[in-house]
Amino acid sequence: MKILYVDTSSNYLYSGIVIDNSIKSEVKEKLGKDLSKVALPKIIKLFDEASITPQDLDKIMVVIGPGSFTGVRIGVTIAKTIAWSLNIPIVPVSGLTAMALSNPMSDNYSMPLIDARRGYVYGALYDNNMNSVVEDTHIELEELKNKVKNYCPITVITNNDIEISYDVVKYNPDILKIVNYFKDKEGINPHLVNPIYLKKTEAEEKANL
Amino acid sequence: MKDTYILGIESSCDETSCSIVKNGREEITTSTSTQISIHENFGGVVPEIASREHVKNITFVIEDCLKKANMKIEEVDAIAVTYGPGLIGSLLVGLEAAKTLSFVYNKPLIPVHHIAGHIYANSLVEEFKFPLIALVVSGGHTELIKMNDHLSFEKLGGTLDDAIGECYDKVARVIGLSYPGGPKLDKLAHTGEATYQLPMPLNDDSYNFSFSGLKSAVINLAHKEKQNNREINQQDLACSFQNVAIGSIINKTKKALKNENINNLIVAGGVAANGKLREEVAKLAEEMNINYSIPPLSFCTDNAAMIAAAGYYLYKKGIRADFNLNAQSSVNL
Repeated sequence: MKILYVDTSSNYLYSGIVIDNSIKSEVKEKLGKDLSKVALPKIIKLFDEASITPQDLDKIMVVIGPGSFTGVRIGVTIAKTIAWSLNIPIVPVSGLTAMALSNPMSDNYSMPLIDARRGYVYGALYDNNMNSVVEDTHIELEELKNKVKNYCPITVITNNDIEISYDVVKYNPDILKIVNYFKDKEGINPHLVNPIYLKKTEAEEKANL
Repeated sequence: MKDTYILGIESSCDETSCSIVKNGREEITTSTSTQISIHENFGGVVPEIASREHVKNITFVIEDCLKKANMKIEEVDAIAVTYGPGLIGSLLVGLEAAKTLSFVYNKPLIPVHHIAGHIYANSLVEEFKFPLIALVVSGGHTELIKMNDHLSFEKLGGTLDDAIGECYDKVARVIGLSYPGGPKLDKLAHTGEATYQLPMPLNDDSYNFSFSGLKSAVINLAHKEKQNNREINQQDLACSFQNVAIGSIINKTKKALKNENINNLIVAGGVAANGKLREEVAKLAEEMNINYSIPPLSFCTDNAAMIAAAGYYLYKKGIRADFNLNAQSSVNL
């Protein structure tokens, strides 16, 4: 089984190729504004390093959000276009689930957090069996803290500077673990894969749509 | 000679479009998903919503185009894509899709400037005769460009402030027409008379345009009439505005053709769909005894056929982009 994993939902590119339970190539790099320019060339390099071509792939896993709207669309568009071209399925992955799976303190509750500005975060809470305690949500940080106050111990996984009293670990995706967690999922038709934003656009909010 | 097929992708604003064009001249088929009905709710294009729609539609549009053409990507010679100017989030969806297709199918990637695309919409109608003047009129552009050969663009002049299409949409709002107001204003103007006095903008020797003053004049006029409790005659105001706006375009175009001693005129961009402009360009061409071309309405608004057409000439010239190609919201032709 040959799987391409793609996550462009932040200003980092996290991508890798997993073949039969072993990671053959990966990239974890802060790209910032260069993401749209270099994400694809860096993914192409992964194929070379793994000595396979896109035509060898069985499926693609792509992070569909939440996070940077533009960032997510870059990875989702690349994944959709490859998968559509090759007629293979896509397994859509929540970026928050991917973060929780990468918690090195795997006996703890995992609370992945992404800064959504103005006091808001994208966040969730998972127990040590990856059961969802608080579903992926766009929420005020204070409200989320209140929701999780009865759970202990909690590890926060994040790439952002977020003011919080729990143990915080910097997000370093365990791509092999994420891919293995989802590898038995059949996936869906690439046409139907879309970002999850968890947040309406300002125009829609104003228009009350 | 072997035929050359270019697959074009365009997503710079609110249309997701894919097209296949043969030899830069013949549209095989075009598939376009338009978002007008979505943005109508907001009185204009909302960039984030446009981007969200593009990512939903992109693979459907590509597939639909290939199906209608009864072709496979393997059969095309290159992938052409709009890299700018436009809405950055919108551009990126088409761009990433095009880059990825180019990689998966090992096809050359051709970067196309959106305005070059609009100009080359005319190549789908008739072969270019050089030298020519291209009048580009759209929601983002009002420019006079001289071309001595393919892909040689010499800007003679352009708008100093608002683009003509932008001005149309704003004036349409003042008159009380819903988005997209430009085409509605055009229709309404044909039923009215030019009874309102409006100033001819930038009536000088340059090839430049200015529309913000004209826009303000309409706003002030509407305001004054309201203060004096006089009802605005919508038709007449639309007609008065349109006569001056199109008049200004025609004056400057005529000046450019005369001074540069050029006998070929092509018109391009969304506002090339304007009825009054089409009439006046035809009159001008007859009066000056010159050749002119305006694309059919379907090639005036944003579409991928024009991108594929321009892409063909770039392809023949050896222009290629690598996988580092990025979208640019604002970039010179």
